[in-house]
Amino acid sequence: MTEKENLIHAMKSGDIGSSLELTEKILSEGIPAAEIADFLIQAIKEIGEAFEKFEIFLPEMMFASDAMVEILKVLEPRLKEEGSDLDKKSAKIIMATVKGDIHEIGKNIVITLLNANRFDVVDLGSDVDSLDIVKAAEREKADLIGLSALMTTTMLGQKEVVEFLNEMKVREKFKVIVGGAPTNQDWADRIGADGWANDAASAVKLAEKLINNKGVR
Amino acid sequence: MGTPPYRIWEVNHRSETGVFMEEKKFINERVIPGIRRVVQKYEIKYDPNNPVNMDDSMADAVWNAAVEAFLSIGVYNTTTHRIIEFTREELDEAFLGLPGSYLFGAGKDARPFIARKPEDKTPPFMLFSPDITYDEKDHFKACVAFLKEPLLDGICAPILEDFFGRKISSHSPTELGGSLMHAMNLRAAARLVGRPGIHLVAVGTAEADSSQIHVSDNEYGIRTTDSRLVASTTELLTNNEMMNKALHYQQFGCYSGNLAGAIYGGYAGGAEGTAVLQTAYHLMGTLLYSSHYEQNFPFHLKYGSNTGREMLWIVSTYSQAIARNTKMPQTSNGFANAGPGTRMLYYETAAHSIASTVSGANLWEMAPARNKHHNRGTPLECRLAAEVGYGTALSGMTRKDANGIVNTLLEKYEKDIPEAPIGKTIQEMYDLERAVPGDEARKQYEEMVKELKNMGVPFPY
Repeated sequence: MTEKENLIHAMKSGDIGSSLELTEKILSEGIPAAEIADFLIQAIKEIGEAFEKFEIFLPEMMFASDAMVEILKVLEPRLKEEGSDLDKKSAKIIMATVKGDIHEIGKNIVITLLNANRFDVVDLGSDVDSLDIVKAAEREKADLIGLSALMTTTMLGQKEVVEFLNEMKVREKFKVIVGGAPTNQDWADRIGADGWANDAASAVKLAEKLINNKGVR
Repeated sequence: MGTPPYRIWEVNHRSETGVFMEEKKFINERVIPGIRRVVQKYEIKYDPNNPVNMDDSMADAVWNAAVEAFLSIGVYNTTTHRIIEFTREELDEAFLGLPGSYLFGAGKDARPFIARKPEDKTPPFMLFSPDITYDEKDHFKACVAFLKEPLLDGICAPILEDFFGRKISSHSPTELGGSLMHAMNLRAAARLVGRPGIHLVAVGTAEADSSQIHVSDNEYGIRTTDSRLVASTTELLTNNEMMNKALHYQQFGCYSGNLAGAIYGGYAGGAEGTAVLQTAYHLMGTLLYSSHYEQNFPFHLKYGSNTGREMLWIVSTYSQAIARNTKMPQTSNGFANAGPGTRMLYYETAAHSIASTVSGANLWEMAPARNKHHNRGTPLECRLAAEVGYGTALSGMTRKDANGIVNTLLEKYEKDIPEAPIGKTIQEMYDLERAVPGDEARKQYEEMVKELKNMGVPFPY
C-alpha cells in the first residue's frame, strides 16, 4: 500500500496514533496539506455512506471520525499557510437533546456525521434547558441549532426553544432543525422550525442545505 | 416469593465514590472495547441461517461473555460522572437469592410469573402492551379493550400524550396529572371487566421519578402487587433519577423490572455484541436496581424494531443465555415494523412470539409500527402473540422446529422491513364504544390464523 492508502486505512480504522504519524510523514515529503485533506474528506464520506448502508456500525464510524478530527488539527495550520479554503470549518452548529430528555445516541450519531463533514459542532449534551440552548447559540455565534427529542413529552422542548428565540427577537439569526422518534415534518412546520430530519444522514444534508441558503458556506 | 433488595445503600454509595470518568471516555474506552473483546474471546458468531439459536454452547458463551464484559465495564452514573462497579462474588450472591418465580397481581387475578427454560412446556406469562400513546378521549376504552382479552396475564397500558386537553410535558405538573389519570383509568378499566387484581406494569406516562412516586398508592394508584420499570440509557448508563425510582420501588414494596434495549448497530456493534450486551443488562438490573425481572427490547438502530433475522437471533440467544444460567424471569418485548391491520404485522408477531417462547422468555407483546405512531396499536396483535406463545409451549416445540417456521415467516416479510406499512389506528379497527374489534378486523384476524396454521405456526386450539 502507498502511504496515502496507509493513512486512509489508519483513519478509517480509527487508529489515531498511526494516522497522525502518517500525516506528519506525508507532509514532510512535501505533499500539500490541501491534497491530504481532499482525499481524507472523500474517505470519511465513504465511511458515512458505509454506515448509512449498515456495512459498518456506529463504533467504526465514531472512531474514524475521531481520527479525522485529530488529523485535521495537524493539517489546519498548514492549510492556513497554503491559503486553502479548507482551513476553516464552514459553519457552527449547536446540538442538544432538549429539556427532560436524557436520550443521546441519535444526537451523537448526527454530531459524528456533522464532524465528518467539517461542521464546527458544539454539543450541549442531554436534558438541556431551552433558555440555555438559546444563550449558547448566541454565545457561540452559531449558524444552526439542532434539537433532538425521543419522547412525546419532551418534544415540547423543541417548540419552547423556537418560542424563546422569537420572544428574544433572535429567531432570524439561527436556522433550527429538529429530529427524534416522535417528531415529523408536520411537527417541525407547526412549531416553526426550519426543517426536520428523519435520520442522521438526512440531518447532515438538511444542515448543508440550510447553511448554504443562509450564505455561510 | 420475593427477592431481597441487593445491598442498596452500598451500591448507591458507589455512585459517589466510584472511578471518575467523562461519559464519552466510558463509552469509547470501556463499553465498545469491552464488548468487542469478549465477543472475540468467546468466539460468538451470528448464524443468519438459524435465526433461532439451537446451540447451547453458544448461549452459554454469550452468558460468560456478558459476565466478563459487565464486570470489566461497570455502569456509568451520568449525574455523578462516576462508574459503579461490581465483583464476581457480588454477582453470584445476588443471583443466588433469586427465587425464580413470583405471583404477579392480587386475589383471583394473580398469575405466576416464572423463569422459564428453553423449550419449556410451561406457557409464557402474557403481558399485553401496545407501548404507544393514544388519544386522551379513547385511552380508557383502549385499556378496557386490552383488559377484555382472556389470555392477558398482565398489562402495560396505552400511554397518555394529553391531560385534560393539554400536551403532557416531561417533568411538569401535566406529567404528574397524566400519570395519575393513566393509573386511575387502568384500575377502573380492570375493575369494570371483572379483573380488579390483574397485574399492572405502570405507568408508562410517568417519565420522571416524581411522577412514578406520585402514582404509588394501594387504594387508587399502582399497588404493591403491580410492577414498575426502571430503565438505563445507551449503553450501560444510569443517573440519579433512575436510582431514585429503583429505590422507591423497593421501599414502596412493589415489583420492579429493568427496562433495557441494547441497540443493534450501536455501541455494541453487530448481532454478537448486541446479544452479549442485552444479557449484561440482566446483571445490571439485578445488582444495581434490585430488579425482580428483566424487560428486554433490543432493537435495530435504523428501524427501531426487533423482528428482523439478526434481531430474532439476538432475542433467542440472550433469552437462552439467561434461561440456562440464571433463575431471573425475563420478558421479550416485540417491536414490529408494520402497523395494525397489516398481514406483515401478524407474520412479525408470530415469528417474535415463537423465537422468544421457545428460548425461555415470557412475552411482552406487541409494539407495532416501530413504536412511533400515535394510536397505532390494538389488542389483536397481542392476542396473536399470546395464542402462538401458548401453542409453542404446549406443543413442545423444539428450537430446531422453531427455526424452520421462523425462517418461513421471515420469507414473508423481511424484504419489506425498510418500507413497512404503518397500518391503521385502533379507532379504524375497533368499535371502541364496545371495546371489541370491528367486523373487518375480526375477519382478517381469523383469516390470518388460518393462514399461519397452514404455515405450521402452532396454536393452542
